[in-house]
Amino acid sequence: MGIISSYLSKRHESTSLAFFRLGFGLLMTYSIIRFWLKGWIQTMYIDPSFHFTFYGFEWVTPLGNYTYLLFFICGLSAFFVAIGYRYYMSIIIFFLSFTYIELMDKTTYLNHYYFVSILSFLMIFLPSNSSYSVDSYLQKKSFKYTPKWCVDSIKLLLFIVYFYSGLAKINKDWLFEAQPLKIWLTTGSYDFPLIGSNLMQQEWFHYFMSWGGMFYDLLIPFLLISTRTRVFGFLLVIFFHLFTVLLFPIGMFPYIMIMSSLIFFSSKTHKKILDFILKPFIDKIKSIREMKIINIQKERISLIVVSVFFIIQFLFPFRYSLYPGELFWNEQGYRFSWRVMLMEKKGYTTFKVVNKENDNSFYIMNNSFLTEFQERQMSFQPDFIIEYAHFLGTYYKNLGLNDIEIYADSYVALNGRISKRFIDPKIDLLKQKRGFKNKDWIIPLDEKINNL
Amino acid sequence: MGLSLTVFYFRIMKYLKSIFCFFLIVLTILACSKDSEDEIDQVPQFDRSSILENYADNIIIPRYNDFKSELDKLKIAVDDFTQSPNTSNFDQLHEKWLSAYKKWQYVEMFNIAKAEEIMYFNTINTYPVDEIRIKENINSQKNDLSNSNDWSCQGLSGVDYMLHGFGISKDEIIQKYKDDSNYGDYLENLLAIMTSNTADIIQDWSTYRNTFVQSSGNSNTSSLNILTNDFIYYFEKGLRTNKVAIPVGYFSGGNILPEKIEAYYSSKNSFEEVSKDLAKEALIASENLFVGKSSNGSTGASLKTYLDYLHSNDVSKENLSPIIINNFQKANDALDQLNENFIDQINTDKSKMLNTFDKLQAIVVNLKTDMLSLLSIQVDYIDADGD
Repeated sequence: MGIISSYLSKRHESTSLAFFRLGFGLLMTYSIIRFWLKGWIQTMYIDPSFHFTFYGFEWVTPLGNYTYLLFFICGLSAFFVAIGYRYYMSIIIFFLSFTYIELMDKTTYLNHYYFVSILSFLMIFLPSNSSYSVDSYLQKKSFKYTPKWCVDSIKLLLFIVYFYSGLAKINKDWLFEAQPLKIWLTTGSYDFPLIGSNLMQQEWFHYFMSWGGMFYDLLIPFLLISTRTRVFGFLLVIFFHLFTVLLFPIGMFPYIMIMSSLIFFSSKTHKKILDFILKPFIDKIKSIREMKIINIQKERISLIVVSVFFIIQFLFPFRYSLYPGELFWNEQGYRFSWRVMLMEKKGYTTFKVVNKENDNSFYIMNNSFLTEFQERQMSFQPDFIIEYAHFLGTYYKNLGLNDIEIYADSYVALNGRISKRFIDPKIDLLKQKRGFKNKDWIIPLDEKINNL
Repeated sequence: MGLSLTVFYFRIMKYLKSIFCFFLIVLTILACSKDSEDEIDQVPQFDRSSILENYADNIIIPRYNDFKSELDKLKIAVDDFTQSPNTSNFDQLHEKWLSAYKKWQYVEMFNIAKAEEIMYFNTINTYPVDEIRIKENINSQKNDLSNSNDWSCQGLSGVDYMLHGFGISKDEIIQKYKDDSNYGDYLENLLAIMTSNTADIIQDWSTYRNTFVQSSGNSNTSSLNILTNDFIYYFEKGLRTNKVAIPVGYFSGGNILPEKIEAYYSSKNSFEEVSKDLAKEALIASENLFVGKSSNGSTGASLKTYLDYLHSNDVSKENLSPIIINNFQKANDALDQLNENFIDQINTDKSKMLNTFDKLQAIVVNLKTDMLSLLSIQVDYIDADGD
């Protein structure tokens, strides 16, 4: 008990949180603008007539043209977070709007969006506006120190992200087949200075990258924590993430991780960066009266929420072990667990509607209801398949076909294996329920890939 | 306790740092040793442009030229027939129409560049045709058929209707052309559009060829990615869906639609049963592209040799290309089982038609999941982030 209370009373210069707030806020503002300018709000949320929802969040749907307003609010709140203006309200609005956006259609799910969601949730409980913020300027006071646990909680979250994605790489395909990197590197077209394209064809290189990637993910948090290895660790972070930028269409994730990793540096470093970036405002910042340590209101409640949050974060990725069958095939408990780049998986799934009144049957042209992006994601993910089947059921019932059954004709290819039948073709999907129960209508893969 | 933990931790860190340094050094050394090429085991990158060269020079361009020369013959036959509509000219015209239609099956899949821009395949082979609109067009002497509503009023499917759709006997049809010169004019116009479009495409390929071959990367806009997507789209839609699935009622609640077969009027009015021949040509054309076979029978770099390369480099456990070739054979066998007259086949026993569908579907699965997976080609052009 003594250890805990003495830990909780430790403090850390507020510049670290201020730096992180600024970096995170600016990157998020840019992400939203980028998403908007690429036209993705239209193509991903407004154009599709049907949206794949997360179980339990069916009520979260795009808002028509108001979806643009939602993105505007999200981007604006991100900017307010960056400058530290009405910080608590801004970060709450950012968390809610960003999470709402990600829940609208799971077709677009990415681990890094999930990371942004939970990180912004965590930041609600951190006094990141204590200094170098508009709030502190307006209130004419800033604080030199914040509790140490606040900064450490961000580090802990990053630890989980890296370490768990390292754990996820400990599987048969990744380590002993070098898949899917072998496919991606062999067929990609890369011509880098120095290493050229030849290296990418070498089998040893595929294994090297697979094992190196695993060790990198597992060890990088430790390298970043220790003062002696920190600079080296950070150089690796930059090297590794920029390498993935060159190889894969990976969006904002590498930049978010590079920026986030800077949190491990000392508060002096953060102060230097802040003073450099905020040079034009330095007189104003200096004019603010500096207090010692901030008193977080209801700190006890914040601590309880943050503790529960981390317990969930530690346990949630292991929920897959509650399900029988191969995780990579069935994807039960696959998401929200920092499993990135582990699969080259493609599917082909069509649906047969049987009218029991006259025993006629017909097949669905998926492109009548789904965008190509949605069809691609639906074709190999069981929770998409069942949701879509139920949508089709409702659709045809509304057209007056009261007694129908729906069957899936589905094939999936995973990590270089020849495609196999994926869904039991004799199962009427309308009789199966959505939800977290084991999906026994998936034809199991007769192989074990994920052994951890 | 805290202190000893810290000491222990730093020791571990020191150790880890050495491991990382070691990895980095190994990587650098190996990377730099690139120049001493004969010392390390060379696995040259598969040269995608070799596929593109073979496809462009030995398949696409020659196949367009083949089609063009058949079209030119068809045009002469049309000229002869419209000048003197008689039985022998009719027979000649019918024969040239069929040979052009067969050669067409070898180019429909290349919906790239100019062809894509001018909606080439829609203007040549949209069926079923719009009978009412064609009649209106004839009577109003309409020449400009660029409106997309007129796709179903022109092309080789349009010629099918013009030749075989106005009656059940040659005499009946020939009489139409004798009575009303608008019929002949419309037919002439259909040929004029086709020949000029085809000439444009061939002209375009003479310059586009180099662009096509040089775009040898693996991105959504690279030649092989576009061509492969077009090929699969054609196989799934143009071949499987249009020629087999729709007529047999696969998407229409089992209600058969024999009037939606390719070259419907020639079969319907008993001129010649050609739909099966056309489907067989289309299947051969697809397999030829997959294995890189040119019209003179020689083979070169292709999707198949790419898959073979990937297999020999252990990227795939089982070699996909023999599986696909075997499935092509099965589809061909299934087609052979069908009646020459698709209308009869669908009306009397649709199960054989459905069997053909299943065999074609197996190839679609191979192409869309297995092959695209191994080649890491995205099945669509969606521009989105991954993670």
